Amino acid sequence: MSFLEVSDLRVEFPTSDGLVKAVDGVTFTVERGETLAIVGESGSGKTVTNLALMGLLSKRGSRISGSAIMKGDAGNLELIDLADEQMRKIRGKNIAMIFQDPMSSLHPYYTIGDQIIEAHQVHNEVDIEVSTARAIELLEMVGIPDAANRLKAFPHQFSGGMRQRVMIAMALVNSPELLIADEPTTALDVTVQAQILKLLRELQSELKMAIILITHDLGVVAGAADRVNVMYAGKIVESAPVGELYANPLMPYTHGLLASIPRMDRGHGKRLSAIAGQPPSLIALPAGCAFAPRCNFTERVGGGPDRCKSTMPALTEHTPGHFARCHLEGAAL
Amino acid sequence: MINYLARRIAISIAILFAVSFAVYLIFAILPFDPAALTCGKSCNDPGIIEANRKRLGYDLPIWTQYVVFLKGLFLGRTFGEGAATIFCPAPSFGYSFQEHACVTNSILEALPVTLSLAIGALVLWLILGVGLGIVAARYRGRAADTGSTIFVLIGTSLPTFLTGLLLLVFVVVKWRILPYPSGNYTPLFENPLEWLNTMILPWITLAFAYAALYTRFVRNAVIETLSEDFIRTARAKGLSEKVVLRKHTLRAALAPLTTMAGLDFAGLLGGAILTEAVFNLPGLGRLSLGAVVDFDLPIIVATTILAATIVIFMNLLVDVLYAFIDPRVRVAA
Amino acid sequence: MFKIKAGSSRRGRRAFSGVVALSLLTGVLVSCSSSSGGAGGTLTFLTNAESWTHADPNRNYTGQHIAWFGSFMHRTLTAYARAEGAAGSEVVPDLATDTGRSSNGNKTWEFTLRDGVKFEDGSDITCEDVKYGVSRTFATDVITDGPTYAISMLDIPSAADGSSVYKGPYKADGNDTAAYDKAVTCSEDNKTITFNLKRAVGDFNYTVTYLSFSPVPKAKDTGDQYDLAPVSSGPYKIEKYKAKDEMVLVRNESWSKDSDPIRNAYPDKIVVRFGVAEEVRDQLILNDSEPAAFSLDAVLPTNLATVFNEDGTPKEEWQGRALNVYDPYVTYTAVNVGKVPCVQIRKALYYARDFAALLQLGGGPAFGGDPADGVIKPLMGLDYKPVTGLEDFKPEGNPEKAQALMAEAKTACPDVYAKATGPGLTFDVGDTDTNKKSATIWIDSVKKNAGINLKFNFIEPGQYYAVVLDPTKQGDLSRAGWGPDWANASTVIPELFLEGAGFPLSRVGKDPAYAEFKQRAEANLFEPDRAKQGAEWAALNQYVMDQMWVIPGVFSKTQEIWGSKLEGIFFWEPQGAPSFGDIKVKS
Repeated sequence: MSFLEVSDLRVEFPTSDGLVKAVDGVTFTVERGETLAIVGESGSGKTVTNLALMGLLSKRGSRISGSAIMKGDAGNLELIDLADEQMRKIRGKNIAMIFQDPMSSLHPYYTIGDQIIEAHQVHNEVDIEVSTARAIELLEMVGIPDAANRLKAFPHQFSGGMRQRVMIAMALVNSPELLIADEPTTALDVTVQAQILKLLRELQSELKMAIILITHDLGVVAGAADRVNVMYAGKIVESAPVGELYANPLMPYTHGLLASIPRMDRGHGKRLSAIAGQPPSLIALPAGCAFAPRCNFTERVGGGPDRCKSTMPALTEHTPGHFARCHLEGAAL
Repeated sequence: MINYLARRIAISIAILFAVSFAVYLIFAILPFDPAALTCGKSCNDPGIIEANRKRLGYDLPIWTQYVVFLKGLFLGRTFGEGAATIFCPAPSFGYSFQEHACVTNSILEALPVTLSLAIGALVLWLILGVGLGIVAARYRGRAADTGSTIFVLIGTSLPTFLTGLLLLVFVVVKWRILPYPSGNYTPLFENPLEWLNTMILPWITLAFAYAALYTRFVRNAVIETLSEDFIRTARAKGLSEKVVLRKHTLRAALAPLTTMAGLDFAGLLGGAILTEAVFNLPGLGRLSLGAVVDFDLPIIVATTILAATIVIFMNLLVDVLYAFIDPRVRVAA
Repeated sequence: MFKIKAGSSRRGRRAFSGVVALSLLTGVLVSCSSSSGGAGGTLTFLTNAESWTHADPNRNYTGQHIAWFGSFMHRTLTAYARAEGAAGSEVVPDLATDTGRSSNGNKTWEFTLRDGVKFEDGSDITCEDVKYGVSRTFATDVITDGPTYAISMLDIPSAADGSSVYKGPYKADGNDTAAYDKAVTCSEDNKTITFNLKRAVGDFNYTVTYLSFSPVPKAKDTGDQYDLAPVSSGPYKIEKYKAKDEMVLVRNESWSKDSDPIRNAYPDKIVVRFGVAEEVRDQLILNDSEPAAFSLDAVLPTNLATVFNEDGTPKEEWQGRALNVYDPYVTYTAVNVGKVPCVQIRKALYYARDFAALLQLGGGPAFGGDPADGVIKPLMGLDYKPVTGLEDFKPEGNPEKAQALMAEAKTACPDVYAKATGPGLTFDVGDTDTNKKSATIWIDSVKKNAGINLKFNFIEPGQYYAVVLDPTKQGDLSRAGWGPDWANASTVIPELFLEGAGFPLSRVGKDPAYAEFKQRAEANLFEPDRAKQGAEWAALNQYVMDQMWVIPGVFSKTQEIWGSKLEGIFFWEPQGAPSFGDIKVKS
């Protein structure tokens, strides 16, 4: 059994316009020491999936079903349906999270020392000195020089990259088994992005934790993840080891995402191809493939565009470990 | 910080001089003859008016009058002759023939009344406004929130004058829950119980209107803050809702309240005219209103300068206070 | 030198007056005959005013204040009898042994002080104290707002700028104190005071009823601040006086009933609560929450219906707790005759305005008053006679009469006609809500009934009289009110219409009819026969109305209410105020 097994996870938000199916039957696994990337446009359900795992969705505002079993230090835990208080004890300790914008994600009024120490104190009944030492240790680990003194600094006194390192230090202060990194590099410069991803990779091998890396940018995934889940309209549409996905995308949407990555070998001057059209409304999803209206390949499907529009393709394993949800035959792209 | 404060104080004093001179100028330009006013309300004897003009120095150029005023501020000033001589010690803002008192004394008598009123009301409305605002935000969309909305509607639409009158007529006159205050204002240190009896209804009256505004403000600020990224971070750390609300949300949400409360408080110190009038409190509001109606020039000048001083220094205080609350402001300062 | 109708000033001041004879129109008076005897208790007064306008006797000028302080604290040489109706207008000795002795053709007046009269500190009240008190009137920069009869009547020369050569007791340099010492003298025993006057004043013993002729001990005088702590010569003294708070009077142990035949001094203690919100003030009495309280201010119009029937009489349960009476005032619109030299236009205004609507604004006939037919009120008795020639007056306006007058004016005075029907006449009023409403009634009715255009000039109320008394600033028409200073129309007709008099808003000096008026009015001031003098004032009132120098408004009324534990209250006509000194608190 895997470290984390998510099966048929559904998250729905009742709104006055209708039911929003933000996550619509998602199933995946993550192993210890493995990095799973979840890729998709905004609104594809990738962030909601992880908020559901963290128990951070409002119980009043959402309906969650399915299962997510974590086989960790705390035993086998069903994360969905976990009591609030129990979930709170796991949050920050067994599962930690880092976010997109390190500026707004750190509290502007407290020193970073306060914030990291607080994260440690909440799960450990130890003296403040112990937590302080731990905070310094973590800051050094994430590569912040003069850590002991920097504890007294406020978030606004750090650069964006440094802030994200602080966030990572804070997330790792309790040695979590699972780290959910939600767009950890989106707000950063390209060079800093690489540093942060490299840091995450190093820390993972050191701490043996599972990482779920959420991003809209397939470009950052290449060196950072082991496996990639591509999501579209609340569903996983392709899942493959990272090398396989790059080499052999089976789903036109994945293909489109890959085509929108700036690459050195394409040369300058050539425009990136963005995927035309808008993601569908999650309230009134079409019966068939949600991507069909934006897909350039429906003509090549056996049965033609009508099949795409009327029948939802199943997530099928095309080659071992490579799943895709598409009516196209394997090599059609 | 010291440098900054010194500069701010210097600028404030310069502004005060400008304000005092502007007040002098305004009354020199206005078509009112201070000399005609000094010989009585129904005086129309040009001989008496001219004689008084000379006696009281209103025939001198406005500059000279202003210099005499400034001199009085630092050295005190003597008014009248013979048995009618009155000396107003420094800082002398002049002598009011309407109040039969040195202006400085009139103001010092009115100030504790207004301070009692403003401080008590401030405490009451902060407790009420912040409390209700938090409850409304916390239980957004539920009965408590609806209740607070009704409170806000009534509080903001009912004029203070009417609130005060209703309270007075019902609580004191008709139901006789509270005794009619024996005097109109009893100093706190003379008889704390009587002071409370005198002040409780004015506090409620003032606090009612302000609490409504503050409830709305706090509710919105808390709701807005709760959606901030750093609150999500706090939750992701595994902090309990209580800590998230008290430590992380409130400090950020209530910081802007410092400015608002500071300026509202400064405004009240200038005199809560309506409340003071309904409850017959001999505070600054009634002093200045009476002075304006009677064209009591020395009092108008003094209360205007006092109001300006209060506003300027409350601004300063608020800025300093804000710097303590929000570390980002500290660096900017 | 005049009593202006203060209207609804901020301090809730209602002025005062004097009245000579009984009138049939005296509204509803509540008899005090049912008093159950017994002194004591605390009498409370409620007012919206923040303080007394003045407590210094030399600065008291409104009838209500004179009645109040005169009843409780300040004694004068003579006073009005404490009696209901006409009897109250009789002058009786107070500090003096008699009502004064005149000689030298009424140019010298002598008063002798009683034995045993004392200030609150136990010291005797002497002639020097009265003389000192009167001298303070001359310090016009310090002792403001009081009547200035002493300045205009005492035989002291004027300086080049028109002011008196005597500047009061506070000034040393360039002050002709000798002139004052010559005009007012004290006898060797310091008991008899003699006033030497510039001109004959037949009723000077009425003049000295003013508190500005009260004694002030020189040693206790603090100039302007004496207003906060005046020394009592009457039955009560100040225990506490704080503006915006309260005044507390307690018995003055130095006062003795033996040397004061006119004051009753029933309650043990008197409290005045200042700054009570108007609605609260009325409610405290309407609910009888303070059964020993008396409201010093006019009842709010909205509360009148609780107390009074539609006809203005108190409801049954309010019998003995309310008064609705004529006050001493006549309201009117002064026509600036110099600017509107056309009697037809002036009369057209009188007939054209919708008087009924204007009166309705003022509370209607039951509370506002009756249409006035001149500047002398029927309460003046001897001096009043109904004015004739106004028979065409209709309360809602008489367009036929007004238009006929306008037709005459078109040929008689084409310039004024062109101005009135063209650019219009300017009309000065105080800037109040009621005046704004009345302005629309004036504009509409006068335009509709006479074709006259009006342009209103709203003036800050505190500045109103200062502006309209300045001939360079006054408009064509000005709202005003007037009450007599004492029970003689000598304080009305000459004051309002003689050139150089106290309140000359009609500016009649250039009117062809003025010469005759001047001659008759001045002569009548010296008429020794009071009955003849009264008849002539009535005739001159008729004369003024024939010229329509003023457009008369109302003979106005006032309402008073008090708590159930008070009794003995009647309307003291000469002061136009309740008989404060006769109020008893039932035990």
